[in-house]
Amino acid sequence: MNETHPTIEQIVDYLHGELPAAEDAAMHAHLAGCGSCEQRRAEELTLTERLRAHARAGERDLPPRVVTNIRAAIADRRTSGFLERLRSGLHPILILPAAAAIALICYAGFGAWRGAIAPTAIDAAYYVDEHASMATIAPFSEDATPAALTSYEETR
Amino acid sequence: MEQQAFLERAMEQYGKATYNFAYRLTGNAADASDLTQEAYIRVYRAWASFKPGTSFLSWIYRIVTNLHRDELRRRKTRYHEETPTAIQPIEEYVEGHLSEPVSKALAALPPEQREIVLLADVEQCSYQEIGLIVGCPIGTVRSRLHRARGQLRKLLNHYMKSSP
Repeated sequence: MNETHPTIEQIVDYLHGELPAAEDAAMHAHLAGCGSCEQRRAEELTLTERLRAHARAGERDLPPRVVTNIRAAIADRRTSGFLERLRSGLHPILILPAAAAIALICYAGFGAWRGAIAPTAIDAAYYVDEHASMATIAPFSEDATPAALTSYEETR
Repeated sequence: MEQQAFLERAMEQYGKATYNFAYRLTGNAADASDLTQEAYIRVYRAWASFKPGTSFLSWIYRIVTNLHRDELRRRKTRYHEETPTAIQPIEEYVEGHLSEPVSKALAALPPEQREIVLLADVEQCSYQEIGLIVGCPIGTVRSRLHRARGQLRKLLNHYMKSSP
């Protein structure tokens, strides 16, 4: 520090608490005994206080619209990020094997499903017996009364 | 979900301070809103890089300062492309938006001086913190701050005399 008077830069650093401890103490002692330096310190302090007062006076709340916009922008990004990942995952090299795998799964699944709900089998003898009984009741006569159903074995 | 919770807490605790810092840097509400919005989107994206135990304000101020510089660069390029005449945009801006001497004087400072004087005198950050926020050594912080304050004194005297 200057032996006689501190520089304006040193005074500003002192005001901001940025001088090393020894220099800070020396400055403090000097200001106590030097009217002109104390005057310069007061001027610098006034400038700082003016800036702070101006900032305090102009202080405002965060507009709710800004918060809403931030949330909306992030929601958009999340959606577009997901779509982007999906799109980048749909590379032709991956699409063909994936499509083939899906087709196989569908085919196997459909086959299994069909097997699960297959209709109950009807014995072929039932149709033979049915036909034989119908043949015995004069199929060409309109007046014919329906005969009792008999089995093929009985009609023989 | 943790990312979303981090963002919500950050906005709740520091949203106002961020917005006011952005407002002082830009000098108008529309730009301050845009800057704050973009800064918190960056916070959301880069939340994992925030180190617990460090100052969130320093981090968000660094983001805001960088975004502001980028925006000024973009505008300067656009301005030069659109209007090749030698009009000073900052003067037009000051005349159009601000009337109070301190606002005028701050707006007339070069952006790199304005951000340092705001951080040192309004936000009361240490020189070391300012260095981390604006990305320069402490010596540069000190010299810019001294230049800025010298300029401010002159500008304030000028605007005080010229104001009715």
